[in-house]
Amino acid sequence: MHTKIPLDEDQMPKSWYNILPDLPSPLDPPLHPGTGKPLVPDDLTPIFPMELILQEMSSKRTIDIPAEVQDVLRLWRPSPLYRAHRLEKHLKTPAHIYYKYEGVSPPGSHKPNTAVPQAYYNMKAGIERIATETGAGQWGSALAFATQIFGLECTIYMVRSSYAQKPYRKSMMQVWGAECIPSPSTRTKAGSAVLQKDPETTGSLGIAISEAVEDAATHGNTNYSLGSVLNHVCLHQTVIGLECREQLASVDEYPDVVIGCVGGGSNFAGISFPFAGEKLKGTHKETEIIAVEPASCPTLTKGLFTYDYGDVAGLTPLLKMFTLGHDFVPPSIHAGGLRYHGDNPTISRLVYDGVMKAVSYHQSEVFDAAQTFARTEGIIVAPETSHAVRAAIDEALKCRKSGEKKTILFNCSGHGNFDMSAYDAFYAKQLVDYEYPEQLIRESLSRLPKIPGA
Amino acid sequence: MCTLGFLINPVAGMGGAVGLKGTDGMVEAALSRGAVPRAPGRAKETISLLKGLDIHFLTCSGVMGEDILSEEGISGYEVVYHPETVQTGAPDTMAACRAFLERKADLILFCGGDGTARDIYSVIGDSLPMLGIPAGVKMYSAVFAITPGAAAGILRDGCTPGGKFLFRDAEVMDVDEEAYREGSLRTRLFGIAKSPYRPGLVQGTKQVFEDHDEERAKKDIARFIKEVMEGTPDILYILGPGSTTAAIADEIGIRKTLLGFDAAKGGTLVATDLNEEGLLSLLGGGTRARLVISIIGAQGSVLGRGTQQVSPAVLRIIGRENIIVVATPHKLAETPLVFLDSGDRELDESFGDYISVVSGYRVAQRKRIGKTAGVGEFP
Ligand SMILES: Cc1ncc(COP(=O)(O)O)c(C=O)c1O
Repeated sequence: MHTKIPLDEDQMPKSWYNILPDLPSPLDPPLHPGTGKPLVPDDLTPIFPMELILQEMSSKRTIDIPAEVQDVLRLWRPSPLYRAHRLEKHLKTPAHIYYKYEGVSPPGSHKPNTAVPQAYYNMKAGIERIATETGAGQWGSALAFATQIFGLECTIYMVRSSYAQKPYRKSMMQVWGAECIPSPSTRTKAGSAVLQKDPETTGSLGIAISEAVEDAATHGNTNYSLGSVLNHVCLHQTVIGLECREQLASVDEYPDVVIGCVGGGSNFAGISFPFAGEKLKGTHKETEIIAVEPASCPTLTKGLFTYDYGDVAGLTPLLKMFTLGHDFVPPSIHAGGLRYHGDNPTISRLVYDGVMKAVSYHQSEVFDAAQTFARTEGIIVAPETSHAVRAAIDEALKCRKSGEKKTILFNCSGHGNFDMSAYDAFYAKQLVDYEYPEQLIRESLSRLPKIPGA
Repeated sequence: MCTLGFLINPVAGMGGAVGLKGTDGMVEAALSRGAVPRAPGRAKETISLLKGLDIHFLTCSGVMGEDILSEEGISGYEVVYHPETVQTGAPDTMAACRAFLERKADLILFCGGDGTARDIYSVIGDSLPMLGIPAGVKMYSAVFAITPGAAAGILRDGCTPGGKFLFRDAEVMDVDEEAYREGSLRTRLFGIAKSPYRPGLVQGTKQVFEDHDEERAKKDIARFIKEVMEGTPDILYILGPGSTTAAIADEIGIRKTLLGFDAAKGGTLVATDLNEEGLLSLLGGGTRARLVISIIGAQGSVLGRGTQQVSPAVLRIIGRENIIVVATPHKLAETPLVFLDSGDRELDESFGDYISVVSGYRVAQRKRIGKTAGVGEFP
């Protein structure tokens, strides 16, 4: 019985899996924030290279991974799949638990799976600098790593509360040659406006996105890059699930349950889309696919499925997605990467259609699970990842009750070696279990965008 | 064997249900407003949980103690003080304490409020430990157990064979009654008593937080609740006492009494300083209403402390789902558990294990509800 289930380098996927053509009907199109009309590729050229714009809307089921990108990915890919023997034993569960460990990448998470191709396509398009936002710092450090490889400059707007909580993430970005600015900042109009209204704001991903988009749109040599939410980001992450499928097949397994945490949805899409595709095609109809989110920012479980902006200032296209409202500033939980008001439109649609389901947990519950995981499997996971761990443990415990021998697969999206202050707070019993007062918020909500023409 | 000095201030808490903020010196007024005694029932709850323990009670005659002990079938007691008048007062409490001292009681168990604690302390100082069964309108002192059941739990700890009391310093506080009735909250340290406790079961001195962050946090809560109120113009909002609810009133531009229950609808003030009767008549005729109430001080009480106006009858009409609890993050950080003590155990229990407390703009915190129902089930 193996513990690590490896895959040879030459078995690393040569193409990404695009789920869009396998959806029963096309997604509702993104809308132009000014006109309310469906976007055309040219609308996005001020901030994205054409190659990524085409991927965003592609109807091809597979898209080749450029050889130069594969070369970089091979620094850590294929990533290991582990069988969690010791966790299973601890839980006394008949279930088989597998986890895909993305913490082996240099920045320590799944994020470089998309940072590398994004930097590559921008370099190819003659772009000199990329602006982006980062929540917990995982995305910023991943893009810093990737831009440096392809000789691009990088400016990163980091959510202020994380900037203070995670100083070493900022240091990593510096090592990889990027500039990291706490957001909101006075560099941009969007940031200044927020600061004027509330000088002590903790910031949020939504605000940082506004700043980075504005930076890119106002500088000719600069493009914008998003670490999650968009379809092309999710596309790049599908290497995770594609590798898992091969690795599991090599030990004669196919998952009954696939689990991932959800911020904007990229690591969850990465592990689940290949399996969701099989579910849609009818080859594996029974697979349960579970998105896990924080109770404090419960986009999929308590949000509305509607058109909304991706950022606070309303600069981005309108996406049809589950949303808590683009002006919602989620509380400062330690899983900073899960503090986002919206979600990838494809995941939103699949949850809406019942192909996937969503659950939510409180902070103290997920750290409790992370501790169990660290004490059995050894890995100290990122606070974001701990949400997936909690759900996987709960599924395994259900199996203990029912006696079912399910195969559970979850995405261990990153390590938490730079998140020890969050663990400190857990041990000091200082974790606050934030909640989203759904009923009251619904009553108070009058500010979802009035969509022009829709 | 434990020797307990036991006394009840029979009029404690009476002012609360009729909208008087404290009963000290106001008994006549309370009675004329139709108040009924509340302390005897609270004391009885504690005493009923002490049966079978090796306790010798020293007490006062009639309503000041003896009645409850004999009703509960406790025979091991001795009356050491007889009040001279039917209408008892502070001099009686103090005289009883002198008798307890003389008879070498180990501890004084009393049922009352801040005023009663102050009277006792003025006689015994820290020469004897004291423990309060909460029944008053104001209980800012740290000598009170969280509930009558919790008081019994603490006594069981000390009075069972091989048991032992843990003692700590406990502030005896009193509120400036004049200022309090006029709408400003001024507490004053009266002395430091010795009090038995069980970690988590005795209420800490209430703190009036007033730093910069607190103001900001209150404002965030207020902005949110204002938007909720604007989205539900047909609902009557009853705002409870305290500075968090006062911030909400400020935000919507109405003048609220700091310590009373005031009602607003559609952005305008409907009534102020409502007592139980006033609340009941406002709520008649199927008016949809919500109660916005804060966690009072560091002790974590939501209902039942200084809020006797919202009696069980009022709460039942409003309905559990229409109670919005608000508190600032700082206050919540000081409050590991939240306690419900509405006077109606069934209602308290209908809240389950957790309560959601609005703590900012569009955000709430989940807090565990402390359970003190009955001995042996303490957290
Ligand atoms: C380790 C880790 N997991 C998960 C996430 C959530 O993002 P996404 O939903 O795009 O995977 C983040 C985001 O920062 C992260 O750092």
